[in-house]
Amino acid sequence: MPLLEVDRVSKGFGGVLAVSGVSFSVAAGELVGIMGPNGSGKTTLFNLIAGALAPDGGRIRLHGRDIAGLAPHRICARGIARTFQLVRPFAGLSALDNVLVGRLYGRAAGGRAAAVAEAERLLVLVGLDGRAATPAARLTLIDRKRLELARALATSPELLLLDEFMAGLNPAETATAMTLVRRLVADGLTVLMVEHIVWALMDLARRILVLSAGEKIAEGPPQAVAADPNVVDVYLGGAPARA
Amino acid sequence: MTERRWALGILLALGALAFLPLSRARDDVLNFVFLILLSITLAQSWNIVAGYAGQVNLGHAAFFGLGALLARVLWIRGTPIVVAMLAGAALATAFALLIGAPAFRLRGAYFAIGTLALGEILRTTVNNVLPEISTLPAATIAGYQLRHRYYLALALAAVSVVAVTVLAGSRAGLGMQAIREDEEAAEASGVGALRLKLTALALSTALAGLAGGLFAYYHISYYPSHPFGPHWTFDALLMTFIGGVGTLQGPVLGAILYVVLKEYLAVRWVDFHLLIFGALFIAIVLLLPGGLVQAAERARGLVGRRGRRPL
Ligand SMILES: Nc1ncnc2c1ncn2[C@@H]1O[C@H](COP(=O)(O)OP(=O)(O)OP(=O)(O)O)[C@@H](O)[C@H]1O
Ligand SMILES: [Mg+2]
Repeated sequence: MPLLEVDRVSKGFGGVLAVSGVSFSVAAGELVGIMGPNGSGKTTLFNLIAGALAPDGGRIRLHGRDIAGLAPHRICARGIARTFQLVRPFAGLSALDNVLVGRLYGRAAGGRAAAVAEAERLLVLVGLDGRAATPAARLTLIDRKRLELARALATSPELLLLDEFMAGLNPAETATAMTLVRRLVADGLTVLMVEHIVWALMDLARRILVLSAGEKIAEGPPQAVAADPNVVDVYLGGAPARA
Repeated sequence: MTERRWALGILLALGALAFLPLSRARDDVLNFVFLILLSITLAQSWNIVAGYAGQVNLGHAAFFGLGALLARVLWIRGTPIVVAMLAGAALATAFALLIGAPAFRLRGAYFAIGTLALGEILRTTVNNVLPEISTLPAATIAGYQLRHRYYLALALAAVSVVAVTVLAGSRAGLGMQAIREDEEAAEASGVGALRLKLTALALSTALAGLAGGLFAYYHISYYPSHPFGPHWTFDALLMTFIGGVGTLQGPVLGAILYVVLKEYLAVRWVDFHLLIFGALFIAIVLLLPGGLVQAAERARGLVGRRGRRPL
């Protein structure tokens, strides 16, 4: 049984179908990439999986159990964590407290002391050593992204949703982030990542989904997807792609 | 950790105030300190739901009023005052939980406006149902002991400070602050926002209800709708903002400054003190959203920077 099954899921906003009958599944331990032009429904799809939005139709199953429409905190408790495309750390809280929220409210058991130790370990893991006491509002964009990742990891997820985690990073930082993601997957985490930096996605993912105007137009290994005429058409033709 | 230190300092100061009645202090001094202590409790209660959980409750007076209403009735009929106050607090909290779930469906400004309307509806209702002034029986007035009120106020202020200290260091307190910062991100991190907001509201309104009971015990006569008046809400809000919203010490410092200033201004500029407070409030929100606490931090930052500068 796959870890995550998305089955003919749809979501509309007023007249716009942001996600339209999308199906795919993710096996435990996989790293799957999602790409698509601006407004093609990638973030909406993440919002549906993470419970921030309820689908209009379709099923979303984790370990075979339907999770569509559950509150986000319940989905977090089932083992799905996310980062936000536009970072949303708890600005007024210290970096450590940001991660502690994930640790204390996520799936991890254990007391306060263990939670603090684990939160500190995660800060080091994402490269925020020495920043524990810094309010999140005072971190740079990159560091806020790292912080969000640490907060998500602190909930002990099985599946991590990364929404354009590499956007805004310079090449060196992108390389560091890729190493980190690889390491997480090597440690057993399943990752679903939306990314505009196509070479990073091609490099990381064994399988890529392509969305266009809310529909899945391609799915497969990076090379096959890159050569797919539908994909080429979307990226070079009609629909506007990000520069 | 600085929170613990503040808590200790404040509790020591409250402990010292316990000796004030023994020093044969004049009644007007005791009345003045009483007012500060009542204000600390009320401000701290508002701080829990607004400062920690980020839900700006503009109907806070309703819970103060409900506490006062029930405690007064029970106490005058012979219930011991502490029991009567607890009953008043229970009523305030029960009402809060009843309206909490629908009210929290409103977000941001709508929650603020909704609670404001609710408070006014309650005040008007009480005013219509109980238009007569409530006065203590002659026998009670004859045996009136200001000291008893004073010590109860002292105990209640201490309870409010301890409650916020415990909350601030707890898992629930951290979750509330996460909701205040970003509810959606908090939910995504596993925080059940509705339940925690209700917890904050329950705690906040229980304290407000107790403060209302204290008010009912203190005043010889007042209109039952008076403690429902919106100025109780705005006093608590102003004190909390002046001191520093979402901190332990802020409402305490704010309450002291506010009561002292108000007393001073009311004597000298009877007509202008509201205007002055309005201006003060706007100045704080615009220039120092963190209140006195932030001002102190900034001052310390300036001093520290100067100290570290190489010679
Ligand atoms: N909360 C919302 N309310 C109304 N419309 C929305 C909402 N969220 C998304 N949309 C619309 O749904 C469509 C898909 O948006 P979405 O954010 O999912 O795209 P995306 O693929 O993540 O784009 P980008 O690459 O710019 O991040 C867009 O037309 C967008 O305007
Ligand atoms: Mg997006």
